[in-house]
Amino acid sequence: MSETTSDSPVAGATLGGAEEREPGFGDCSVSARVRTGPLVGPVLRRMVSIALARADWPLDRLDDALLVCDALSAHAPRHAQARRLSLSVKADGREAELRVGELGHAGAAALLREATLPVVGNVLEGIAEDVRSVREPGGGSTLALVLKTWSEPGPALSPTEALD
Amino acid sequence: MTPDMELALAARAENIAIVRHVLGGLGEAYEVPEEKLSDIRLAVTEACANVVVHAYPDGQEGQMEVVTTMEDETVTVLVRDWGCGIRPRPDSPGLGLGLSLIAALAESVQLGQGEEEHTEVQMVFSLKDPATRDAVSSATGQGA
Repeated sequence: MSETTSDSPVAGATLGGAEEREPGFGDCSVSARVRTGPLVGPVLRRMVSIALARADWPLDRLDDALLVCDALSAHAPRHAQARRLSLSVKADGREAELRVGELGHAGAAALLREATLPVVGNVLEGIAEDVRSVREPGGGSTLALVLKTWSEPGPALSPTEALD
Repeated sequence: MTPDMELALAARAENIAIVRHVLGGLGEAYEVPEEKLSDIRLAVTEACANVVVHAYPDGQEGQMEVVTTMEDETVTVLVRDWGCGIRPRPDSPGLGLGLSLIAALAESVQLGQGEEEHTEVQMVFSLKDPATRDAVSSATGQGA
């Protein structure tokens, strides 16, 4: 996981009426602020499922994304800074970015750590192509994950390496 | 009162489906009867459709927010926009039934301007059984 400083709220849909857009990114972006409680899981799953379905994602990756949602909604409420979480999704046909924000100072890192299962390893790092902890100006943190419809091809192996 | 959910999207027709889908989460998270959830979805759909059609004229890009609060078996939904406000429109492309439909589905409806120069439609839905609600109203001498 890498750590960065926040400079870009999720484009296309920001709370409070202001709108920011990034050129080249798909139009399916939605953000929500949810009080910690039973609504977090259903809202995150529904935001992600409709955003990815609209972006025409394959079902297996949609399933993967919903696993990520389950892991996030199971642990994120414990790390919320003020009993609220900001959730955002933006997706196009190639990649999707999920952000869970308004976490405490070390909340994003703790959330990532807690998504580790025995034998399986870290669910978030296993499924997402990129996982970042973003430091927010107010002292909080956001966990940002990027998923792709299919993984980038790795470096080409030489014939002997491939046989090993 | 902290809202349970604030959903922010671009005010576009295709995003109304997102609002409907996400509102379904209320039924999963709380005991909202399916019939009531359908009423809430339909009313909120109408309010969002009004934003999409009327709030941002001439193809302007704009934002809409749907804010939901659950309290004492009551669901309050606010639909906000930062567009041109609610005003009579003789050339309206719609049937003009949206607000009447919302009023028929919700226990109460309020239209207004917010502090941030936004327009908002506030809809209140009671989750109480109508028979129980009427009994309570007559016992306390309050209208339904």
